[in-house]
Amino acid sequence: MPEETLLPDPDEDLVARARSGDTRAFDALIVKYGERLYGLVYNMTSHKEDTHDLLQEVFAKAYRSLPSFRGRSSFYTWIYQIAVNTTLNFLKKRKRRSGVSLNELDSSVHHDPALVDSSHLANPEKQSRLRELQKRLNEAMLGLSEAHRTVVTLFDIQGIPHAEIARILRTSEGTVRSRLHYAHLQLQAKLQDCWE
Amino acid sequence: MKPTVEQLETLLALKRHERPEEGYFDDFLREFHQRRREEELMKSGFVGRWRQLCQWFSDQGAARWAYGAGLAYAAVMISFLLTPDASQGDSSPALTPVGHEVKAAELEAVEQLEALDLRSSSQGRTGEQEF
Repeated sequence: MPEETLLPDPDEDLVARARSGDTRAFDALIVKYGERLYGLVYNMTSHKEDTHDLLQEVFAKAYRSLPSFRGRSSFYTWIYQIAVNTTLNFLKKRKRRSGVSLNELDSSVHHDPALVDSSHLANPEKQSRLRELQKRLNEAMLGLSEAHRTVVTLFDIQGIPHAEIARILRTSEGTVRSRLHYAHLQLQAKLQDCWE
Repeated sequence: MKPTVEQLETLLALKRHERPEEGYFDDFLREFHQRRREEELMKSGFVGRWRQLCQWFSDQGAARWAYGAGLAYAAVMISFLLTPDASQGDSSPALTPVGHEVKAAELEAVEQLEALDLRSSSQGRTGEQEF
């Protein structure tokens, strides 16, 4: 798939400085994309320690490969490609652990505006049910294939458009939509017995 | 009852709020730079280069088998070219067993050696020469 950038890369300046050896510029890129990439890797691996190690590896690879980055895609697409490939390679190597962290509801979810509004706080039963649903969703996510989990993570959780996902995965937009459709069907089927 | 796609998407969207704890990236950056320094030190040694090669291979995915096969083929070809051709051995002169008999030193030479006065008294003090 041809890689092209229609708009100027917003990270062009930081990337150029990082390439010339400015470590602070690279730190700025880590801070800018670290949180989103953390979410991506975490939702694909379901393990916090693995997420940390993989994120270190992703940025180390990016730092080493920066001299060969030609800007044919945006830095954002490029770093996402590295993160997805590194995580998929890791998952292929180690299909062992399952749902260590995702089985617990993250503390951050408690601060979600949808969860902490007055109606929810006044209804502990609803809160408890939402937690149960999240737990079941995490388990259902772990039951998906790596390819399907990747597109669900990128589209539904990270909110990345289909076209951008296609560029990250170096596949067609049709493939992305198809994978997403089948992933949704599987998740719906897995959640049907706990949905009222 | 199955959730609708919209309901599913809403539930999945809640996971956007999963993020590391406060201050995580400060520690992350410290560790990143520490690892980078260690990596640069390692790069200079043989072990570092070997690890780089292993890492490179593991990053190749399915292509590593093709690279591996290519390297194995190259190794076989090099060893084949470097090994002397067995057929050329016929043209070289045939090796004949050495029929040389080792004899004991002649008695006469031993007697001559014993006749020499090698005592230190005739040489003066150790390390000195007398003229």
